Amino acid sequence: MRKRLLEVLAVVGMVVAVIVLLKVAPARSASTAQGLKTAWGDPDLQGIWTDDYQTPLQRAAKYASKAEFTDEERAELDRQRASILRRNQRVEVGTERDVAGAYNAVFQSIKHTGKRTSLVVDPPDGRIPPLTSEAKQRGDTDRQFRLALLQATETCKDGDAACAGGKYGARSPKYHELPPFYNTGRLNRSDGPEDRSMTERCMAAVLPDFTGYRRIVQAAGTVSIFYDVGQGQGWQRVITLDQVPHVASSVRQRFGDSRGHWEGNTLVVDVTNFSPKSDFMGARENLHLVERWTRVDAKTLDYTVTIEDPTTWTKPWTVKQEMNRQDEQANRIYYEPRCHEGNYGLPALLSGTRAEEAAFAAGKGPDPATKDSATDFGTEGGVDALTGGG
Amino acid sequence: MSRRSLIATILVTAVVTALVTVSTTRAVVGQGTRPARTADGKPNLSGVWQVNNEANWDLQTHGARAGAVTQHGVYPYAYADVPAAPVLALGAAAIVPGSLGVVQGDGQIPYTPAAAMKKAENAANWIDRDPELKCYLPGIPRATYMPYPFQIVQSSAKIQMIYTFSNAARTIHLDQVAGPPDDTWMGHSVGQWEGDTLVVDVTHFNDKTWLDRAGNFHSDALHVVERFTPMSPDALRYEVTIEDPNVFTKSWTIAMPIYRRLEPNIQLLDYPCIDFTEEFLYGHLRKQQLVKHWEGETMAVDITRKVPPGERLFEWYGK
Repeated sequence: MRKRLLEVLAVVGMVVAVIVLLKVAPARSASTAQGLKTAWGDPDLQGIWTDDYQTPLQRAAKYASKAEFTDEERAELDRQRASILRRNQRVEVGTERDVAGAYNAVFQSIKHTGKRTSLVVDPPDGRIPPLTSEAKQRGDTDRQFRLALLQATETCKDGDAACAGGKYGARSPKYHELPPFYNTGRLNRSDGPEDRSMTERCMAAVLPDFTGYRRIVQAAGTVSIFYDVGQGQGWQRVITLDQVPHVASSVRQRFGDSRGHWEGNTLVVDVTNFSPKSDFMGARENLHLVERWTRVDAKTLDYTVTIEDPTTWTKPWTVKQEMNRQDEQANRIYYEPRCHEGNYGLPALLSGTRAEEAAFAAGKGPDPATKDSATDFGTEGGVDALTGGG
Repeated sequence: MSRRSLIATILVTAVVTALVTVSTTRAVVGQGTRPARTADGKPNLSGVWQVNNEANWDLQTHGARAGAVTQHGVYPYAYADVPAAPVLALGAAAIVPGSLGVVQGDGQIPYTPAAAMKKAENAANWIDRDPELKCYLPGIPRATYMPYPFQIVQSSAKIQMIYTFSNAARTIHLDQVAGPPDDTWMGHSVGQWEGDTLVVDVTHFNDKTWLDRAGNFHSDALHVVERFTPMSPDALRYEVTIEDPNVFTKSWTIAMPIYRRLEPNIQLLDYPCIDFTEEFLYGHLRKQQLVKHWEGETMAVDITRKVPPGERLFEWYGK
């Protein structure tokens, strides 16, 4: 009986060992980050992360055949870029253009040049795929409306680049029409909040995002990410790892609906249910993202996102970004998103325009339609060597 | 091996296999179901939670009120007030429910005399003054007992709390991070475990948030100590000590249960109130106003409720 018991235990032991190995082995073999696991055994993505380097979203034409820079090229680009100090040139002091450029180089941080020539890794040419004809049509319609509202301004009179494709003339009848689509950018009109940009309305943040900082906090079954982006326009995201379907398609959200799961060491997140009010490069409610978050080592978190919208791009495209771990102590300063709470700008834009209209009606000022509140003149004055020249 | 021992082997193997499988596979469960403790032995607070009380209306004991804003009816008594125009069209949906109150002890909030006057003024000017109506960050503790779900993501060194209202959030630092150099709406939260109780010390507040819709308020000297104690895997006792020498003569305490949302597919949904309050905040600055009776910045709400054909009271009764 004792021998039989031993036989039984031996067989049981082997079977158990095989089961355990089968379950554990795939995760181990994929693991490059030993020790970077949470207490409950998930890959540990936690911490404060940002991309320390500047890499253009798309590859400039002049680097067409070049996926990566050499160290020497990066050093040279850093030298050229540091000497530009964009936005530090002032136009005529006291003019609208001068005010529009108020955020000079003091407010702009220039990061060191990154290793890759584009964040886009697929297609391999580093370029966003062509727009569908439908998206081109949408873009043209939108652009024509914006140009019509600029038509009576000095911007068009001077033939400024912001008026390219437009003309100078009397106020367009379109000045009193609704925009062709729900507006998310700056219109040269301030009839109400909807004429102003999402940035001015404190709703600039979109997903995907390749700027700013993320704080990741995890629990078993949930990954939370706080995005510190824009000027106090941060937002909080919760990724559910439960294997439940996306919310009903009638629910549309600014940052979509995220469902994640682990594939080895990688958090894979499927994002759908975007809102027609959120705009990522022309994609709105049909946007679909598949994100992959992988902790590569103690200081690096790889992020790739495949971006798909058959109504906007002719094929899906993929962006890769290496995020660098940030020091908790140095980054302890609170990143509270309180743009809305201090948004004096939006009511000032609206009441300023009402005052201009009243002055014009009383014959004491110019027609507000002849003034430009849509163009960001602040970007004039220098070309970034990293992106310039196509 | 005999037949008997073979059967025994198969049986034991099956049982052990089942046990191993259960212990090494993370059960696929919704946010509504969680193990009672985390891997590091702490009570597991992760999940979606919500209070089920009237604290956001008024922390103190109160009877039901005819509306969030009221005016005198035919009698000059508060108990005979009727809903005022801003909420009248909402009918019974605008009634403020009564509450036993959440203020501990004698149920009183120990305001200084000057602060008590300001509280009364706040209450009389609720629509104009309550930061909630403007979709401003709700502050702590109010964020906890607003009538919307919030989520706790509990890790070892940080606990993230994410609130439906205004997409607000805070990080509770269990690793003793020094505070920010500036005041904040949501405060700076440092937590520690005292046995099974999560104790959170919150400081660095500004003076702009309120404690409820009844005008209860604080200054930038506010100091909050929160205690989250499990009553069961699905309920927490939430106790908050509130201290502010500029406003209160002594510290005071509120307490209430918080309940786990047990729906297997529960998740926070977007509550885009920045977007939805633009009309309230900026409607008077439109070129063509949508709410027609702005007088300067004053919204003169003039309610017109047309009864649709077939829906008049006697018609409804006759159906």
